[in-house]
Amino acid sequence: MRNLIAFLKRFQLFLVFAGLQIIALSLYFTFFSFPRSQYLTTASGITGTIMTVRNDITKQLNLSKTNRTLHQKNVELMKQLPSSFTKIGKNVYKIDDTIYHQQYEYIAGTVINSTVDKANNYFTINIGSEQGVEPGMGVFSDKGIVGVIHNVSPHFSVIKSVLTDNINIDVTIQPIGLFGLLKWDHKDARHGTIAGISNDLKIKKWSKVYTKGGSGIYPRGILVGRVEALESVEGEAFWDVKVLFSEDYRSLQKVYVVKNLLQQEQKDLEALIPKDKEE
Amino acid sequence: MRNLVVHGLRFLFFVFAQTLVFNQLEIGWGIQPMIYPLFILLLPFEIGVIPMLFLAFGMGICIDAMSNTYGLHTSALLMFAYLRPLIFKTFSPRDGYDSLKEGNVYEMGQRWFLYVFGTLLLIHHFWFFMIEIFKFNEIGYILRKLVFSSILSYIFCILFQFIFLKRTKAQ
Repeated sequence: MRNLIAFLKRFQLFLVFAGLQIIALSLYFTFFSFPRSQYLTTASGITGTIMTVRNDITKQLNLSKTNRTLHQKNVELMKQLPSSFTKIGKNVYKIDDTIYHQQYEYIAGTVINSTVDKANNYFTINIGSEQGVEPGMGVFSDKGIVGVIHNVSPHFSVIKSVLTDNINIDVTIQPIGLFGLLKWDHKDARHGTIAGISNDLKIKKWSKVYTKGGSGIYPRGILVGRVEALESVEGEAFWDVKVLFSEDYRSLQKVYVVKNLLQQEQKDLEALIPKDKEE
Repeated sequence: MRNLVVHGLRFLFFVFAQTLVFNQLEIGWGIQPMIYPLFILLLPFEIGVIPMLFLAFGMGICIDAMSNTYGLHTSALLMFAYLRPLIFKTFSPRDGYDSLKEGNVYEMGQRWFLYVFGTLLLIHHFWFFMIEIFKFNEIGYILRKLVFSSILSYIFCILFQFIFLKRTKAQ
């Protein structure tokens, strides 16, 4: 016992250091995969408020550009759906039509904090569970996809952006209709890669990449980017397709959160598929 | 008492400067300047290691909470604080440290500052980028980030001292 106390006394510095280091590292590595709580992120009240104030100051810098893209998007939408928009409640838009069943609703939000040059980039937006945002919803902007909601507080949410490891969004390359998974190599905020495309297929440069909408997170056909280059992987029969993102995440301001009204129905149906038995 | 106020204000200054200004700089090539380790360096010479570790932990958590890194800055800053006494001992002046002074560039001189802060900053940045990227086949990318970011952080830290600290004549 005395030996133990002597040992603890001798190494107390290292033990304190190791203890704190373990707390920090376990926070980092668990948070990365499981959104457990919102207290240590910009989704929490205090830091969320600070980021809102900062964004109020800096958003003026991009105001004219943001306005222009919003204006264009409005024109586009009005062309497609004349007088078919009714506004219900705060920031939720619903298409009123008796022929088509409503599947997606959109919630408008503003990015108040973002990074693009880290290994994993998270964006904070100024809407939260009170506006109906839930973890797992898709997020896109006027020009392209943005990411998936990671965790949510009453007034803020954190988006796991396209610029993170393991984002794996299912996309299709048009007009040939190939499917693949979008990944990011954490180096360049303008480019992503699509893995799993067999290299006997010919893909034209600058063909467009859209979301596939398979998992119900995004509607089908939201622009992701364009194919910029095909790189062969050594020793494998796959292309690494380099995609130039259509959205410039460095100046991202206005986003839409996708609310899929039929998500539960799709999940319930897909749960009926018999599981492959691993033998 | 005066020390407490000075270091408290510095704590707030570094947290806000790092999260609201330096984290927002997007210079390219993965460069990411970090100036908050200077806070730990400028703590009094006679401070105990355990209070310093807890200060480092608190500061790291504050910065992590505001930049969505969940413990990455904390881990690197703890490394910095833990190794500070060791590096101080290695580069100790001939007659020890004067407890009335603090470890800034005016009072300890350019050379001492470059050796001590340079070494600690390199360790801090290396640890940070290692944990952040966490792939050994990307070692070249890590080293590139390390070199450019460290140089820029060092320059910003020198600038901070030129702007905010009073120049004292060497005795």
